[in-house]
Amino acid sequence: MNPHVDMTPNNRRETHTAGTNEDGVDVTLIRWMLSLDPSERLRFLEERIEDILAVRALNSKA
Amino acid sequence: MQQRPLFPVLRALVEADVKFVLVGGLAAVLNGAPVHTFDIDIVHSREQANVERLLAVLDALDAVFRAQPERRLKPALSHLNGPGHQNLLTRFGPLDVLGSIGRGLVYEDLLVDTALLDIGSGTTIRVLTLEKLIALKEELGGEKDRAVIPILRRTLQEKERGGG
Repeated sequence: MNPHVDMTPNNRRETHTAGTNEDGVDVTLIRWMLSLDPSERLRFLEERIEDILAVRALNSKA
Repeated sequence: MQQRPLFPVLRALVEADVKFVLVGGLAAVLNGAPVHTFDIDIVHSREQANVERLLAVLDALDAVFRAQPERRLKPALSHLNGPGHQNLLTRFGPLDVLGSIGRGLVYEDLLVDTALLDIGSGTTIRVLTLEKLIALKEELGGEKDRAVIPILRRTLQEKERGGG
């Protein structure tokens, strides 16, 4: 059983542990993004991208 | 000016000696796939001592359940001991703590399909390989997972050709 897509009635009640819908879309993540204002979304995305690019660079030097 | 540490959530976990494997979208991105991701997904070892260390880190990161963040519900040992998925929000952003993935694969099952990745300052984490990420997404078969499979496959092909 895959808890990420298991949306049986029993699991639907456990919204804090099964935040994804039947398509695998994480609704809690969408709601969190919508709770941010556009500048906060941009700042989060920028920081995440900076981190990703830095780690990729670190690991491609070897 | 002091530099912001890279991936503070992952760093906090490593510094507390929490055993985990990075999976999901961020693992795909760090493997070179050009996909967007906002949350961090980890599968943790459910050994009791590890779960206790993980809970302490989550507490330090102000982690609460993402479904109803206004209620500030904190994860407990019982949540982390089980195979389920805990969708959390930390002060550094979303973090999904997974007791298992796919058809019940746990931390120990995944180790063989991981690579060590340097996230700066000598800190290394275990990241699931692109091959295993593709296999898991094929197995899940949800619309969101199916959508990203062609990008992951092509990224793997390019890597195998020596492109990164």
